[in-house]
Amino acid sequence: MSNTLRPYLNAVRQTLKAAMCLENFSSQVAERHNKPEVETGTSKEVLLNPVIISRNDKERVLIETSVNSLRVSIAIKQADEIERILAHKFTRFLTQRAESFVILRRKPIEGYDISFLITNSHAEQMYKHKLVDFIIQFMEEVDKEISEMKLSLNARARIVSESYLSQFN
Amino acid sequence: MSAELPIVNEFNQGPISCHAFNHDRSELAVCFNTNVVSVFRNAGAGWTLAWTLAEHDKPVTSVDWAPKSNRIVTCSQDRNAYVWTLDSSLQQWKPTLVLLRINRAATFVRWSPQEDKFAVASGSRCISVCYFEEDNDWWVGKHIKKPIRSTVLSLDWHPNNVLLAAGCADMKARVFSAFIKGIDKKPAPSPWGEKLPFNTVCGEFSNGTGGWIHSVAFSPDGDSLAFTGHDSTMTVVSPATGSVQSVRTPYLPYLSTIWLNENQIVAAGYDCAPHLFELKGELWDFSSSLDAAVKKVDVGFTARDTFRRMDSRAQSTTTNDTEVHTHHQNTINSTRVFAGTREHVEQYSTSGVDGKLIIWSTDNIAKGLANMHLKTGLVDCIYENDMSRKGDFKPGYVATKVDLSARELDKVLAEDVEVCKMGVRGGAGDKESVSIDL
Amino acid sequence: MILLDYHNRIIEDTLKARFNPENKPKPVDMSIVDFDGVSYHLSTLDDQDTKLNLSIRWKCWPELVQYGAMDVLKREYNQWIVTPESGYDFTLQFDLENIGADPEDVIHKVSLLKRNAMAAPFERAFDAQAMAEQEDHWDPTSSQLMTIHYRDGEAIYVQNQQDRVTVIFSTLFKEETDRVFAKVFLQEFVDARKKPHLQNAPQVIYSHREPPLEIRHVPGLLDSESMGYITFVLFPRNYAAGAVREETISRIQIFRDYLHYHIKCSKAYMHSRMRARVSDFLKVLNRAKPEIQASEKKLASGRAFRRA
Repeated sequence: MSNTLRPYLNAVRQTLKAAMCLENFSSQVAERHNKPEVETGTSKEVLLNPVIISRNDKERVLIETSVNSLRVSIAIKQADEIERILAHKFTRFLTQRAESFVILRRKPIEGYDISFLITNSHAEQMYKHKLVDFIIQFMEEVDKEISEMKLSLNARARIVSESYLSQFN
Repeated sequence: MSAELPIVNEFNQGPISCHAFNHDRSELAVCFNTNVVSVFRNAGAGWTLAWTLAEHDKPVTSVDWAPKSNRIVTCSQDRNAYVWTLDSSLQQWKPTLVLLRINRAATFVRWSPQEDKFAVASGSRCISVCYFEEDNDWWVGKHIKKPIRSTVLSLDWHPNNVLLAAGCADMKARVFSAFIKGIDKKPAPSPWGEKLPFNTVCGEFSNGTGGWIHSVAFSPDGDSLAFTGHDSTMTVVSPATGSVQSVRTPYLPYLSTIWLNENQIVAAGYDCAPHLFELKGELWDFSSSLDAAVKKVDVGFTARDTFRRMDSRAQSTTTNDTEVHTHHQNTINSTRVFAGTREHVEQYSTSGVDGKLIIWSTDNIAKGLANMHLKTGLVDCIYENDMSRKGDFKPGYVATKVDLSARELDKVLAEDVEVCKMGVRGGAGDKESVSIDL
Repeated sequence: MILLDYHNRIIEDTLKARFNPENKPKPVDMSIVDFDGVSYHLSTLDDQDTKLNLSIRWKCWPELVQYGAMDVLKREYNQWIVTPESGYDFTLQFDLENIGADPEDVIHKVSLLKRNAMAAPFERAFDAQAMAEQEDHWDPTSSQLMTIHYRDGEAIYVQNQQDRVTVIFSTLFKEETDRVFAKVFLQEFVDARKKPHLQNAPQVIYSHREPPLEIRHVPGLLDSESMGYITFVLFPRNYAAGAVREETISRIQIFRDYLHYHIKCSKAYMHSRMRARVSDFLKVLNRAKPEIQASEKKLASGRAFRRA
């Protein structure tokens, strides 16, 4: 892991740990409803200040917290066109599987590539420290996966072009 | 089982949202985050389900069991509360609907010490103080409304049966008079005030940095009030002396608080372990965690289990995942006195999101304290050098490596500031963000 | 399989079965497709199971004929050419009782029908360049730009020049992903030639959106982000008469399909990779779920199972 990545992930981990303190809180606005306050935003006193942790201008994490829900939005590194395409494809691929990824938000927050919405019931069904682990691991692996895919595309292109052109010899 | 070790009851039925014992601790009411309350009976060989109290149609948020009159009160997000009485001939619990007159979720309920009243906290920005009206043969509620501006999260009765403390999501802890004419006798003067008509605000406190007040608790003699906030502070106020002390802790916020005696408070919450606060001289201070951290031993994994884990979690038995080395594996949301008196608690119980109910003895506090203080000192010194370990460390740990370089340390310290700010509420919900550049 | 075949495999296999004297002639009516929107129709005559027709339809046929396709086809298939079946551009007819040559050769030739039809403009350009080279003076007017609109929105341009023949593909990338991937592939084509062992390969030039100079004057070029132009510069050594020339023609023709095939394959690979990664992530998420200790196990009879 590179030198700047570790403190970055560490900062995200600590912030998430603090943000993951959620409780069951029913809506103060709609009778007999229980909604993620971070999404509805109707009761201002139960929202906390959002935090942005950025590693550079491209990679950053937005963490928005409320009394019963937490939204984590990740901007993935996209150095060039290919990485952009791959990141886009990858996040879309994940979003389409939001059904099984219970904590995935179907639509990312504007300006970010992927968003997770963790509600108190997720934190009840799952261990909160492991949810933090998941997000950290996700951040690590997404970068790795995208650069590996890019390498494999380049490798394939090289082999394809060489085997075509070598026929002319 | 030795009294040193906490007694762990694991129900495996999902998160426990609240629990309450009867007077002799032979029966237990538990809600597993559903709309029913399960009443268990312990006949010496563990807890067996005896009754199911099903009347609510939304998750039950709180339950309380009156020890003398043997009545259970439950409240739920469906805006209702029920008083349950045991029909001794049928051996059935009979519900009676309470006229709460609230239009949002009920969040918390507690019997008053005399058991002639109970208070229900709610999301409709009020507290309903309920009493039995003989004429109409029902429980009716009278509202405490005045300065409450958000959901009330917790309540505690003063031993004089009149004063009521409330912790609220508007970041204030308040003490109200819940004096009901015709039921209460005029209370003796206390540091909280002398003339106490209904809805008198006897005190309004905040913990300085702000944060929702998750729990409130009167001291055994009722002269002090302790409350915990989402900014991980424990605040103790004593109106007699006018002292307001906030103890900031480097841990996650506390959700539930009880006094063990006049000098010791136990609070538990998101850090999954009960923490002890002590009065040292004039000052309250964080003392130690009461969950002597034990490394979890992987026991009883058969080959089949191992392979199943590898298949469904891509995880072998050796893993570098974060582990929580406490008895509770998830947030503790309720702490209750189990045995002893108000002035001297001998045992207390905690229940949490991990579905466990643990009974802790206070004996070991005295015994283990000397030892623990030593270790706490060690951990404190690690905090100074390695803030990134915040939260990972519980007193009782012996840290072996401090592996951050000075440069990284600066960054982590910067981040630590941000973590603290998470708990601080600036202008409510404004989109003012804090950036950390690494 | 990195390289693509030039011949049509289905025609080859079907004819092999038909031409085998051991198999009794049977009526047949098959529609076969090939790259670049080519469709074939393979059928027996209504009353004669031994007469087999193979027809081809291709939208650029009139252009190919204009560039001398019939000459090439006559050279290759003279004895089997009949009047084209209605709805098709060109038809061959075989008498299974008298094929007229070695069946193996015939089958091979026939399976290359599309390739041969397309060969005409290339041959013409190669010949013209060879002629020009012999003359001392280069007459620029003798350079002819032949355009074959072989697919919707895509074309091949063949132009002979004094010392070389230029082949330009215009190709459409329907998706942005394809375009980005193509850029990576084509950059490798451009770079690969710098390698010492590939010095003899034709030079490849790639331009995106901007048409190359040779065809800039051609009307109706689509000006769009999704257009790409690939230019091959062929020198006489690449098309020395004989096997080299035949191979070059085949190879150049298949280039567009080769490129797109590998782009699609890369996408499919990424997809399967992402699928695997996503299921990995799911497993990581599963770690957060508490393992519910198995409650009492029941036997089929409903009684509790207890390990002794």
